[in-house]
Amino acid sequence: MLGCATLALASGYYLMAARIQQSDIADVIGPQGLPRTYAALLAVLSIILIVRAVTSTRTQRVRAASPAAASPVTPTRNIPRNVGWRVFGMLMNGVIYILVVPWLGYILSIAALIAATVYYQGGGLNRRVAAVAVGGAFLLWLLFVRLLHIAHPAGIWPSLL
Amino acid sequence: MTELLAALGSLFTTPIVPAAFGGVTWGILGGALPGISPSITMALLLPFTYSMGPTTAVVLLASTYVGAEYGGSIPAILIGTPGTNAAAATVIDGYAMKQQGKAGEALGISLYSGFVGGLFGLLVLVGLTERLSSIALAFTPSSYFALGVLGLSVIATLSGESLIKGLIAGVLGLMISTIGTDPVTGLNRFTFDSPELLSGIPPLLVMVGLYAVSELFMKTGEPDWEKASREDARIKFPSRALWRRIARPQAIGSLMGAFEGMMPGAGGAVSSFLAYNEARRWSRHKEEFGHGSPEGVAAPEAANNTVACTALVPMLSLGIPSSNSSAVLLGGFLMHGLIPGPLLFVNHADVVHGLYTGLFVANVAMLIIGYLIMSPCMWLVSRPKPYLMAFIYALVVSGVYAIQTSLFHIGVALGFGVLGGAMKYFKLPFLPMVLGVVLGFVVESNYRRALVISGGDYRTFIEDPIAAGLLGAALLFTVTSVVRRMREA
Repeated sequence: MLGCATLALASGYYLMAARIQQSDIADVIGPQGLPRTYAALLAVLSIILIVRAVTSTRTQRVRAASPAAASPVTPTRNIPRNVGWRVFGMLMNGVIYILVVPWLGYILSIAALIAATVYYQGGGLNRRVAAVAVGGAFLLWLLFVRLLHIAHPAGIWPSLL
Repeated sequence: MTELLAALGSLFTTPIVPAAFGGVTWGILGGALPGISPSITMALLLPFTYSMGPTTAVVLLASTYVGAEYGGSIPAILIGTPGTNAAAATVIDGYAMKQQGKAGEALGISLYSGFVGGLFGLLVLVGLTERLSSIALAFTPSSYFALGVLGLSVIATLSGESLIKGLIAGVLGLMISTIGTDPVTGLNRFTFDSPELLSGIPPLLVMVGLYAVSELFMKTGEPDWEKASREDARIKFPSRALWRRIARPQAIGSLMGAFEGMMPGAGGAVSSFLAYNEARRWSRHKEEFGHGSPEGVAAPEAANNTVACTALVPMLSLGIPSSNSSAVLLGGFLMHGLIPGPLLFVNHADVVHGLYTGLFVANVAMLIIGYLIMSPCMWLVSRPKPYLMAFIYALVVSGVYAIQTSLFHIGVALGFGVLGGAMKYFKLPFLPMVLGVVLGFVVESNYRRALVISGGDYRTFIEDPIAAGLLGAALLFTVTSVVRRMREA
């Protein structure tokens, strides 16, 4: 699967590299040169990976079919369950933050992010979580806005006041 | 002597002391949290350093590395779980000592051995780095290109289980480095007409995304780690007899750390286990190893903290990061317009001398803060994991925004977090990709510049003796790594 994904990526990248403009002041390599080389390199590596995967699958099938051969212990991946959904959920917490912060402002949005992440991590949703979210947001506001003088979005509130 | 005076001078003119103390504190706290590696701890700080002066920023980051290498030993000793990969060897005898009621003694040995190793590593760093870099004043574009290729060739060593996967990660990094403006013609490449992509993808966002954000994503739903009791958190100063006993393993650990720290890919974990093995081999009490030997704690801890300094040798002198943590430090340098490598000692000698001073202060700070921070450290490690993860996530998001007040950058960091999660799933190593992103521009711009100067003649890469030597070294490095892998297979 990885090999197929990277092969597709290499193909797409090569096509995009081919569409880069030519320039009158270009050198002998040009702006397309190295991107095309990288795409070709990635394609070759992807094909090697695919071939390896296919041959190792065949070898495992042959071994499994042979009654005399001892079945090899397949190493199990140490990957947590439902990892894709968990990553998606944490990503969505961040994406929603990006979408709401111009409206709600930094303090409210970061407090919501903290609360949502605690809940998503299995911390529940109760007064303690709310207190931690508000306290954490205040602490970060003190750190970034007051101490480091880095302006974060204020939201729609100044225009309402 | 001039360098020493310059270094002492910087102690009083720049906020090196608070930066060193702050970095060590942050590093110890980060290193004490299982799963938060030194590179993640440093990556979390990167956005904060953007508004600082260059010397303060690099001292803060380097001190964080020093602190994190010690911090990882705290949970290794108290709960049998290393806070960092490099502390894995410390678990063997450190946790055994804790089970015998000697946790305070083990923590004391760890702290003082780290101090000894750190000072030794600093001496090696100061002695070697500038001498190596003086060679590079003769560099031409061909030589810089060859240096970049040498840097990329370490991918062969850094690729973990699979060389092909390491190479794929490296090529992906090189592809990411082409996003933005072409270095020769100024044309836009892969920007999709987005103004935010005109200056490319900052390596900082790649590092924060891969190291910090992906770790947060992947740790979701994992069970909480074991908690230590507050009674364990009292460090005991080693007695004179114990101090004599651990002197040899400290020396062995320091030497191992000095050598391995400079080798690409070796890092703290390899050197700490090597140090442990050698200390056991030369010990008069071999039978105690594995059952609570003080030497079994001293050797790996001395090695860890030596590596924190010597890993900076290839990064400062040649611009080639040899570990994840030195790659993050390289990101800090680049963020402030400092190009590590040959001209750093000419154009920014003050920053280098400030770094040396800062590392000395950081090692001293580690002794002081190591004593003071145990209780707050225990409190922090005992917090429920959901709260810690949420606060770190909020910190990352806020810090990334602070770089250029751009929500787009947060999106990019999140994207690399997802990519990092996918890379972990498919067992693609991170460091080759980071190397590709960091060195991609150096490789391409100098390659094309060299060809412009030579009029398109490729022989320029062979006729330049430095370039030829570096390309030969890259080839040798790659071939020996491949042959070693084939033999191991």
